[in-house]
Amino acid sequence: MAKQYVMVIQASKCIGCQACTVACKFQNEVPEGQYRTKSPAIGPTGTYPNVKLYFEKEACQMCKNAPCVGVCPTKASYYNEDGVVLVDANKCIGCKYCMTACPYDARFLNEETGAADKCSFCYEHRVSQGEKPACVSTCVGGALVFGDVNDPNSEVKKLLDKHKAEVRKPEFGTHPNVYYIYEGVK
Amino acid sequence: MDITWGASASHELAWGGIIAIYLFLAGVAGGAFLTSALTELFSKNRQLKVIRAGAYIAPVAILIGLAMLVVDLGKPLSFWKLILYVNFHSVMSIGTFIISIFTALAVVYAYLVWMAAAAEKKIQITVAGQEMAAAKATGIQSWRKPVAVIGSLFALGTATYTGFLLSAVTTNGLWHVSFLGIEGIPFLPILFLVSAISAGLAATLIGAVDCSDLTAYKKADIILLAIEIILLAVLYTSVKAAFFSGGMATLFWLGVVVVGLLLPLVLAIYGVTKHKNLVLPVCGMVVVGGLCLRYFVVYSGQLFR
Repeated sequence: MAKQYVMVIQASKCIGCQACTVACKFQNEVPEGQYRTKSPAIGPTGTYPNVKLYFEKEACQMCKNAPCVGVCPTKASYYNEDGVVLVDANKCIGCKYCMTACPYDARFLNEETGAADKCSFCYEHRVSQGEKPACVSTCVGGALVFGDVNDPNSEVKKLLDKHKAEVRKPEFGTHPNVYYIYEGVK
Repeated sequence: MDITWGASASHELAWGGIIAIYLFLAGVAGGAFLTSALTELFSKNRQLKVIRAGAYIAPVAILIGLAMLVVDLGKPLSFWKLILYVNFHSVMSIGTFIISIFTALAVVYAYLVWMAAAAEKKIQITVAGQEMAAAKATGIQSWRKPVAVIGSLFALGTATYTGFLLSAVTTNGLWHVSFLGIEGIPFLPILFLVSAISAGLAATLIGAVDCSDLTAYKKADIILLAIEIILLAVLYTSVKAAFFSGGMATLFWLGVVVVGLLLPLVLAIYGVTKHKNLVLPVCGMVVVGGLCLRYFVVYSGQLFR
């Protein structure tokens, strides 16, 4: 069975340390002021004693039905054999059509290459070598879990079976491969 | 901007003013070509000034528009990859070929019109040049009508494409809105086609302003403006109110509606019967309104999606 890489994010375990933000900058040499992933604070909401605050990791949602792939005029945005949405910076002309299509604002125009850029699940440098994405490896609270959801023994599969997971903006029918478990924070 | 604790970093809109102007110029080019070609093909008294103005405006407008499009790319020098790598699922990829063919036909058509004009000694060039032009003109001019016909089809394609480019973005509430809620009929291509013909016609009439009788064109203009007002009313009731709010409210109500549609419509109706000298202000406002409409749709769709 083909692989289907997914990321599961447990918001209750995230302490907002931003190690993922920094690790991504290390691994992917993202230009200053630009981010493949960010984890902004959501909140605080409510009033004492019921005040809540959590962090939401934002990045490419690796949609199974990705709007960015459909609109790309040069096929620079594509799905690889493991269901990961990637950008071929060489084919990309920087038309930004994909950026208008992405409902998650996950893409940006890399200031140095002029090509569209975004989270790649660290596919080329880490995942294809059998490692986890940089943000997952560095995550202090263990909030980020990565793996093949088609493997019944994988941690992601077990987490998704056990907990109620959500995807962002399901109304667009994009079917993301990044899942959020908000138990304990919402 | 504090990405750690505050709201996520606000980032710039992907498409800005350059794309709005490009969509506008592509529309003007298509509309001007149609005005010229349809006059050439179907008008009994063939107003030469209208034919010439439209034929010259089309290639100039589309070439400036394409230059702006290339400049707006993240990698301007790689624009040729649009032709090398094709994605038939992408409206932009298909549009590349429609616009390229239209641009080529618009240049050829303008050249043929210019040659005929030169042959009629309307353009001051050397005697030898005139003779050469006259000799060449007889044979090559037989291409003019076929180029006008095929060019008209691609002019329609270009004007409509500017709408399809945006309406294909399914995740955008303004751009992807369907016509009267009918699934499968996108709204923007219809609006942009009507606006393109209207703005292209207006630009052509500005170029042919000293023409003796433009009554037929002014009447066409009135009909187009009326259709556009109806279409905008349909749009207003089809999408959420937020798209017409904030900074976009002034642009829409003042730029698109008042300057672009209501004032020219009132002046045009008044002018057809009484004054002949209202062509410049009416057409000028229609052109400005067409530009405002592209700005409004491009920005509002991204700001409030």
